[in-house]
Amino acid sequence: MTVMPTINGGIKLTPESDKDWAVLKAIAFDAHEELAARLGRLMDEESMWEDIVVPDLKTHFSGQLDHVVKAVNEGKEKDEITIPKEEGELWYGALNQARLGLESKYHFGQEEDIEPDELEEEERQGYLRGRFYCAIQTVLMEYVLEI
Amino acid sequence: MDRGTRDPGGNLMNAVDAPVRESVTKKKEKTATPWNVVVFDDPVNIMEYVARVLMRIFGFSREKAEELMLMVHQNGKAVVWSGGREKAEMYVQELHGSQLHATLEKSS
Repeated sequence: MTVMPTINGGIKLTPESDKDWAVLKAIAFDAHEELAARLGRLMDEESMWEDIVVPDLKTHFSGQLDHVVKAVNEGKEKDEITIPKEEGELWYGALNQARLGLESKYHFGQEEDIEPDELEEEERQGYLRGRFYCAIQTVLMEYVLEI
Repeated sequence: MDRGTRDPGGNLMNAVDAPVRESVTKKKEKTATPWNVVVFDDPVNIMEYVARVLMRIFGFSREKAEELMLMVHQNGKAVVWSGGREKAEMYVQELHGSQLHATLEKSS
């Protein structure tokens, strides 16, 4: 897959194989299902986070995933995906959810502690998808995100 | 004879009004207590991203945000802001929206 910045301030993803497309489609699959609730559990009962904030966060997070799923499906027909500047945060958030989901499932910990060849195959695939997502996030941060 | 509380205008307050007054007092106490916004380290969020989120939400300079980000990374957590509970909750909500692990704790 090629990831390149565009002159309009976005980036373009050009997957080169079915495997590349499969990884992009896995973003929503890998995403942490209960991220909003898990963050909410960090708060005390007095805050009423579960009732007031968590529903909004769930909507916010699922909106990021819905956007990426749609963009990947539409991109498949054109053999490329363009991420405009204004959609950078949606993509970054969806990729982050996927990486948090992988971490929650496999507990990789710090990257420097991982030896991919020593992992079980399913875990190794998850680790590599996580690195792939992180690489796209890094490009997004360098060229697209304004925060 | 009803000897209920009178409001500042001298009007008699009914039984339903009294708890509201108490609730307002409690709310004032609650908001006056200093609270810390605490950010936790996690192995997923990119350090540069954490620094940028701190800059955006709290208006910190890059230097200050990087210093706090490194404290989070090295110590496992860091207090990034202290103040009233309502504002602290607003900040935590924004941090959660950015997928950072954060909470509130009473300032010691």
